[in-house]
Amino acid sequence: MKNNGEALETGAIPSYPVPVAVDEAERMLQRQITKHHVAIILLHWFNAFVWLFELGTGLALITSKEFRLAPEWYISIVHGFFGPRGNLLHFHIALGLLWIFVFAVYGIFGYRTYLTREVIQREIALDADDVRWLVVRVKRILGLTDEPLPLQGVYNAGQKLFAILVYAMIPLVMFSGLILAFHWFGASFVAWAIVVHFAAVGLVASGLMIHVYMGAVFPEEKYAFFSMLTGTVNEWFAYNHHFKWWREVKLEQRVWELQHSPDQVPAPPAQGAPAAPAQQKSWFERVFRSPEYWPPYAAGFGLGLVLLATFLIMGQGLGASGGFTRYLTAALAWVAPNWTASNPYWSNYLSGGSPLFDFLVFELIGVALGGFVSGWLAHRFRAACDKGPRIRRSTRYAFAFGGGILTGLGARLARGCTSGLALSGGAVLSVGAFAFMLSVFAAGFIGAYFMRRYWL
Amino acid sequence: MARYAMVTDLAKCVGCQACTVACNTEWEVPLGFARTHVRQTPVEGTFPNLVSTFYVAQCNHCDHPPCVEPCPTGATWQSENGIVRVDPNLCIGCGYCVDACPYEARYLNPVTKKVDKCDFCASRLEQGRNPACVDTCTAHAKFFGDLEDRSSDVFHLVYERGARRMETADVAVGPNVYYLAPPEHFDLALASFPPRKPRLLTAGQAWKKLARPLIAAAVGATFIGQAIAFFNQLRKGEPDIEE
Repeated sequence: MKNNGEALETGAIPSYPVPVAVDEAERMLQRQITKHHVAIILLHWFNAFVWLFELGTGLALITSKEFRLAPEWYISIVHGFFGPRGNLLHFHIALGLLWIFVFAVYGIFGYRTYLTREVIQREIALDADDVRWLVVRVKRILGLTDEPLPLQGVYNAGQKLFAILVYAMIPLVMFSGLILAFHWFGASFVAWAIVVHFAAVGLVASGLMIHVYMGAVFPEEKYAFFSMLTGTVNEWFAYNHHFKWWREVKLEQRVWELQHSPDQVPAPPAQGAPAAPAQQKSWFERVFRSPEYWPPYAAGFGLGLVLLATFLIMGQGLGASGGFTRYLTAALAWVAPNWTASNPYWSNYLSGGSPLFDFLVFELIGVALGGFVSGWLAHRFRAACDKGPRIRRSTRYAFAFGGGILTGLGARLARGCTSGLALSGGAVLSVGAFAFMLSVFAAGFIGAYFMRRYWL
Repeated sequence: MARYAMVTDLAKCVGCQACTVACNTEWEVPLGFARTHVRQTPVEGTFPNLVSTFYVAQCNHCDHPPCVEPCPTGATWQSENGIVRVDPNLCIGCGYCVDACPYEARYLNPVTKKVDKCDFCASRLEQGRNPACVDTCTAHAKFFGDLEDRSSDVFHLVYERGARRMETADVAVGPNVYYLAPPEHFDLALASFPPRKPRLLTAGQAWKKLARPLIAAAVGATFIGQAIAFFNQLRKGEPDIEE
């Protein structure tokens, strides 16, 4: 910004920072660049919440005069909050386990996004500019120099240093915490684990103090703080504090704009082919022989009518998992009759004669037949494996099989599946059915987020 | 407040281990471990003047228990009646206290993974009963009571009959289990099973001498640096958007 001869023009992407005209600066202040994904924002604040409570309780857990950092009055206040002192330890352990679980979930589902080599190089590896930045930054904060700061990428060298510290210490904190919580490997490991736990947390905490100060108090990093709420920073902040990153983002934008600009050769507009002569189709052709799926509301209405019919004719609603249970009972009774008869769960299904003499058993055969007829009529009958584009067929089968086991287990736990419990139970306004449906949709909503990459 | 003490009359003890069995049963002590047990000294002297005696080992509920300070979480604590207790809800099983005890009265329970030791049968005391070992002693060699109660057995045995503490010049932490025995028997028991100096595990030393000062320095230095930065910031005021 020493170069007063030129000023940043609208739309220009300089390779080093140049002074910016006031009106362009105003526009840059308005334009936002995405910095954090919403998953990272959620993780950040969950992590912050956990650290607040784990540090608060952990400080009060170490009461020995030989080892503790917290003063006596602090320890007695915290112990006063939690009542019996064992509660404090149990809270500390429970929250820590939740923390480890959430990070494990992120690690398992997000390692391809968050833990790639490029991300790690971009977010934690220090280059020469970074090293010089650290020196200048500390001098500036202490008021020793006014030298401008070297150019920085998406994270500055201070943030990278903190990231290195955190990446190094968090596994230690987690692992030593697990040893302490479950007394793994015997007493001598526990004796060292508590020292490692204390020291690793202490090192992170001293970095955390700077992190919190920079976010909450330091004026220059104000926009970085708000980016952890909104996910975006304005271009002006990016230009001044993370110039290398700003330039990358602008170049990417420019490339995208060029590829998608109307000046590019447009795809030839489809010339209207002569419309096929409209054939008069019968209602049967249109409803049952069209390869289009029915509108979901129409199908739902039809399913409701079927449900009403089964209530009228059979005196019970539809079901699926109950039918499978009966098939399995019959198979077990054939293979191991004595064991099945003595098993408290399976014997339930043997009491009324053959387990196969039940509406649901025949209903399932009907479902398979009906599905076949409907698919065959609509020209949809074929062998296929529907899967997302990113996964292999074997992955799809593995997930389908695993999900099926979970579904079967859950259905028996709940004494019904989406058909028997949610559909038939909901039709008779059973409270259990509505509790089940709410849980299914809540769990599905959360689960779908984490599994989206397998389908999209 | 009571000041509980126990007296063992070594001259009466027959070494039958009934106290060990009663205690192990009462407290479900795993095989191979004990909160209390009877040990026998070697035989000393020349025939026919031979000396040997029994020694009943257990937690001494010391006036200045060396095991309380090293416990990081405060699971080991001393109640006002002098009983040194372990809170299993707070114990993390680090074993610092096991190494600290001069009388080797503590053990790490392999089932619960937590430290266990004699607590004078505190739950029995609350019901007004004696410790299990006292009730079961076949030779009536064990006595339990309150040293502040002048009518108690233990007051009589300690202050009038001269029951003594197993202390040496090196290790004198005020044990509250007293032993009544002829002097040569007492000396032999003390010489055979002397209290050892309290130790701190290497891990504990690394914590106390290295990790704690280091972390305190790191946190302190950060705090001071931030304070300087904060006052600089106040002095300068917030910069405008147009630099």
